[in-house]
Amino acid sequence: MYGGGYIQEEKQEATSPIDDSQKLAEFEARIDRGEKIEPHDWMPADYRKQLIRMIEQHAHSEVIGALPEGTWITRAPGFRRKLALIAKVQDEIGHAHLLYSAAETLGKSREQMINDLLTGKSKYSNVFNYPAKTWADVTVIGFLIDAGAIVNQVANSKGSYGPYCRALERICYEESFHLKQGHDAFITLATGTKAQHDMLQDALNRWWKPIMHFHGPPDKISEHTAKLMRWKVKMATNDDMRNQFLDMYVPKILEIGITIPDPNLKKNEATGQWEFSDPDWDEFKRVINGDGPCNAERLAVRQYVEEHGKWVRTAMMNPNQKVVIPFA
Amino acid sequence: MEAIKNLLFRMADDELIYGHRMSEWTGMGPIMEEDIAYSSMAQDKIGHALANYSILEKEFQTAIPDKLAFFRKENELMNSQLVELSNHEYDFSLVRHFLFDHADFIRYEMLSTSSFVPLAQLSKKIKGELKYHVLHADTWLTRLGNATEESHARMQSALNELWNYALGIFEPSDYEAQLIAEKIFDGEKVLQRKWMEKISPIIEKANLKIPSSSTPVYGGRKGYHTDQLQPLLTEMAEVISSEAEGTEW
Amino acid sequence: MSKIPLNTPVLDPRIKRVDLESTYGTTAIGENEHWISWEVFHQKKRGDQHVHVGIVHAPDAQLALLFAKEQFGRRLACVNLWVTKSSDIFSFSYDDEDIFDNATAPEKQYREASGFRVMEKINRYKKSKQKA
Ligand SMILES: [Fe+2]
Ligand SMILES: [Fe+2]
Repeated sequence: MYGGGYIQEEKQEATSPIDDSQKLAEFEARIDRGEKIEPHDWMPADYRKQLIRMIEQHAHSEVIGALPEGTWITRAPGFRRKLALIAKVQDEIGHAHLLYSAAETLGKSREQMINDLLTGKSKYSNVFNYPAKTWADVTVIGFLIDAGAIVNQVANSKGSYGPYCRALERICYEESFHLKQGHDAFITLATGTKAQHDMLQDALNRWWKPIMHFHGPPDKISEHTAKLMRWKVKMATNDDMRNQFLDMYVPKILEIGITIPDPNLKKNEATGQWEFSDPDWDEFKRVINGDGPCNAERLAVRQYVEEHGKWVRTAMMNPNQKVVIPFA
Repeated sequence: MEAIKNLLFRMADDELIYGHRMSEWTGMGPIMEEDIAYSSMAQDKIGHALANYSILEKEFQTAIPDKLAFFRKENELMNSQLVELSNHEYDFSLVRHFLFDHADFIRYEMLSTSSFVPLAQLSKKIKGELKYHVLHADTWLTRLGNATEESHARMQSALNELWNYALGIFEPSDYEAQLIAEKIFDGEKVLQRKWMEKISPIIEKANLKIPSSSTPVYGGRKGYHTDQLQPLLTEMAEVISSEAEGTEW
Repeated sequence: MSKIPLNTPVLDPRIKRVDLESTYGTTAIGENEHWISWEVFHQKKRGDQHVHVGIVHAPDAQLALLFAKEQFGRRLACVNLWVTKSSDIFSFSYDDEDIFDNATAPEKQYREASGFRVMEKINRYKKSKQKA
């Protein structure tokens, strides 16, 4: 029986290697049968580690993702956009909340995760290191970055870890609103005045590279994908997700008179694969390692927010309360 | 008619500016759960502003809500100065939230029996939202007022700073007598009395003290504002005013 | 204190208004600073069961309810919520999942409506009556 005693420290599995191989076989058989793994199940240490890493990064991405769009919250044009943008950014914080909760069931506390974000130890989605320079950037993010995220999240929601799947189910439902409001605002600019159209084209031109980076480096240069896919931690390869994204959204960009700043972008009908110019993976690496346009600002903002919220949190702390792993 | 219009503008402008200030916390709150709560209240308030501007448009053929909210001049806005003040730290925002939302809640409660049907209907529709806002404010105020020395001191100093501005909510209009006579609204004086009765015990429960001397900050209702409103308005209209009025966004 | 190596100007007016430098590189979240977790149960409409939907972190039950309302009651139809401390939830281990194994097994048909064939018996009786 598990109950109030399931505390953080209990997470190490003390078993012999022989037990482990038997347990590993059972674990993998369960995943092969399409069953979910639940928090208190035995799981390989690496499965736990990779899941925490992935869910935590996903959570950080939601928190940091609130910043570029948040840039325009106080300037959103008109009631409808103002309300929708607040609701959208609110949802992203809500997603972070759901995802941190899912990661917590694996034994890492929210406090630890946020600390790892603040020190730069833990990463988040690279796209959010780019600035949202104009209102049009918000529409590009809301439409295309959320679209990219949806491809990824829908795939992952069929993964093997129960709490992550449950969180993603709710997240995907809300994402459909994000995508739709983004698409709506995107179309409005594309088909609006010349200045609006130009502003959007300029934003898309600037965002295209980060968008192409969004699903990660090509499979041939990305590591340890095979095991993660067998364990259904990762559900589709980077290239597959990018291809699916391009399949669905390139036509939606072109049909309203916006162009894509890559003369080599085209679908190879024979292979079903999109071909495109090298999106500069060196820049991707540079940015992820800290040297992007907004990395320093993003972390500085989170530090500011956490520091200024500290007195509220500590005032309400109860030293006698025992923190336990949530059941989420 | 002017009397009702004036009342609607006062309410709508309060809610718009206050909701806007609340939305500045979105993504910046002290803890995720509270961040989410604040964003909801921001949406509610801005939604209430929209509802009131829509009544103005429908019943009195004013301009559309977007024009009323985004294109009026600073001296045309009738919000109380309380809501336009910058957010400062969370203590300041919370205490303002407490002071404003109790007044807002009671105002709508009084309007639920208004002879002006659109306001009576709106009052019924948003009753639950306002109830949550007040519950949220009370819970936080009583917690932080009683928690640590620091949190108590922060709450008290925010209350001291905001008190006179809060009294400015009840700045009488030129139409008080008419609103009362026509059973539209029982007037700011009654509202202020009810508000005092309601918040005093909660402030006491929070271990805080109402400042002993008080001078209401009036002016907001007549279009006189602090230097903190114009920057807010400029910022709010930055995008929408970059194109001709009526352009879709 | 080091200076923030900003590569581009800050664009968010909300952020421009604050002094980012003042806290740069100094923050760490302490243990328990995010309080304990509460399990949230959501009731969609009267007559329905409360269903577990997730958790919130809160210092006490009242705040947990307030937070749960926003995180789990703002987008879905909802008439009521419960919260309880995560530490007050007790559960079986999934290792013991097999204790539930035969709940729906064919051998237990004797407690299912489908396990009884009364029409067969009635028809047999009626047939024998006709013959007689
Ligand atoms: Fe999200
Ligand atoms: Fe989203």
